[in-house]
Amino acid sequence: MKKLLTLTAVALAVSSSVNAEVRINGFANLVGGITSSDDSLYGYDDNISFSEQSLFAIQVSGDINDRMTATGQIVARGSEDYEADFEWAYLTYQATDEISVSAGRLRMPLFRYSASLDVGYSYHWVVAPSSVYDVPFNNIDGIKVDYSGYTGDLEYTFQVTGGKIENNFTLAGQAAGLEVNNVIVGTADFTYLNWKFRVVGARGKTTFDIPSLEPALGQLGQIDPNLQTLMAVQDDTGLFYGASIEYDAFDWFVAAEFTGVEIEDSFYPDETNYYVTAGIRSGQWTPFITYEKSDLNNTPKFLDNIAAYPAPLQGPLTQLIVGIQLPAVSENSTTSVGVRYDYDTNVAFKVDVSDFSDDIDESNDATLVRFAVNYVF
Amino acid sequence: MLKMHFKRGCIAAMILLISQSVSAEVVMVVHPSNGDALDSKVVKRIFLGKEKKFPSGTVVTPINQSADSSVRGSFDDGILGRSSAQVSAYWSKLVFTGKGVPPKEVANDAAVIAAVAADPSAIGYVDSASVTGDVKAVPVN
Repeated sequence: MKKLLTLTAVALAVSSSVNAEVRINGFANLVGGITSSDDSLYGYDDNISFSEQSLFAIQVSGDINDRMTATGQIVARGSEDYEADFEWAYLTYQATDEISVSAGRLRMPLFRYSASLDVGYSYHWVVAPSSVYDVPFNNIDGIKVDYSGYTGDLEYTFQVTGGKIENNFTLAGQAAGLEVNNVIVGTADFTYLNWKFRVVGARGKTTFDIPSLEPALGQLGQIDPNLQTLMAVQDDTGLFYGASIEYDAFDWFVAAEFTGVEIEDSFYPDETNYYVTAGIRSGQWTPFITYEKSDLNNTPKFLDNIAAYPAPLQGPLTQLIVGIQLPAVSENSTTSVGVRYDYDTNVAFKVDVSDFSDDIDESNDATLVRFAVNYVF
Repeated sequence: MLKMHFKRGCIAAMILLISQSVSAEVVMVVHPSNGDALDSKVVKRIFLGKEKKFPSGTVVTPINQSADSSVRGSFDDGILGRSSAQVSAYWSKLVFTGKGVPPKEVANDAAVIAAVAADPSAIGYVDSASVTGDVKAVPVN
């Protein structure tokens, strides 16, 4: 309620200036899903559910003057009991035809579809591939500078974003807090005829707050405080990098995206994820296929450090060091096939079937059927 | 309710089929005072929000037709090179990232001509049969 009032206030403030134009847009994804019996995936189980990935959003934007625009986006997610939240709120200043500066709460420009990640209508998938897109650092409080232009058939956009990220996430089902300070993100996007290329790199001082890991880290600290510092994610440099490529002939398209995450001096394993997707556009139908892979399964870190300790300590140390790293370890692959049907220029229906394979523990394998209605206005 | 929508959708699809077989010839129209030469690439950039000025440097105001007009379909397919649904998916990406505002939409050729005749910065498209002396038709190649 309070948020709606705030939004109204924003709208009023913008519209009170004489010739301001206020635009109200919105989008909705109604996504339902059900897994094969006794399986679970992305929060779905073998009872049909509509709340896991559904969302409704309203965006209000208004021109403050010729060069400045205010934008606010309120999103209500089914996974959070449809509690409305201001996910974006920012001002954009169009400095020149090529350069714009935005400040406030923004989407991190990490992925090919970062900016429109929540707008199901903007892509063919039912939901963007989780292996790549499901990260707890999608929004940032900060500032972004955009430079775009073109020469001949080559269009380019460069972005630099800086700021701070605070969010909650879950690690192996346990609640955790994330804080990343001094975040800096650089991206370069190129479009050449039917081709699109993109690279991104980011870094920031990362801190995890994971209460369920504290006891084990504390035990490690009793043996050697340095080891506790080494393993904990406390003001450690986190790196994110990614690249994507796409060829879109309009009748068909193929695209791939790759991302990696590293947090130096921490228990968190080096992470690599990718997907490859392709589809055919035939009239109102877009059948598609996607293969995605997520890999956080490496040999445990810091085992070499253990040899420096007295023999009686080596056993317990190995147990602790491997045990703390274990919850984050995972490796899985998913193949999805589905179809999008463009019912209207603002409504699409979709359905897909995903076959999830856990490469470490095959008892987690699951098959999920999802269907969606995407709406924009 | 859903049934009714489906019915309407079917009728719209039929109309679309019929009108596509007639295949309107689309021409760009600008204000008579506009001296810019345009090619299809520039028109495409303007209607996809990538270009905000005419080649001469003056600000451009594109006028679109609403999604149910047959000329819109021909324009999207012929000049923009994608279906109207794809164009709308493209704009949904820009709108919800604060990167752009889609062109204003009007109902039909007559409304496009009225809007273009009244605004030296405007550009629109109509069926070549609808062109009147109030606007200047510009060939695009």
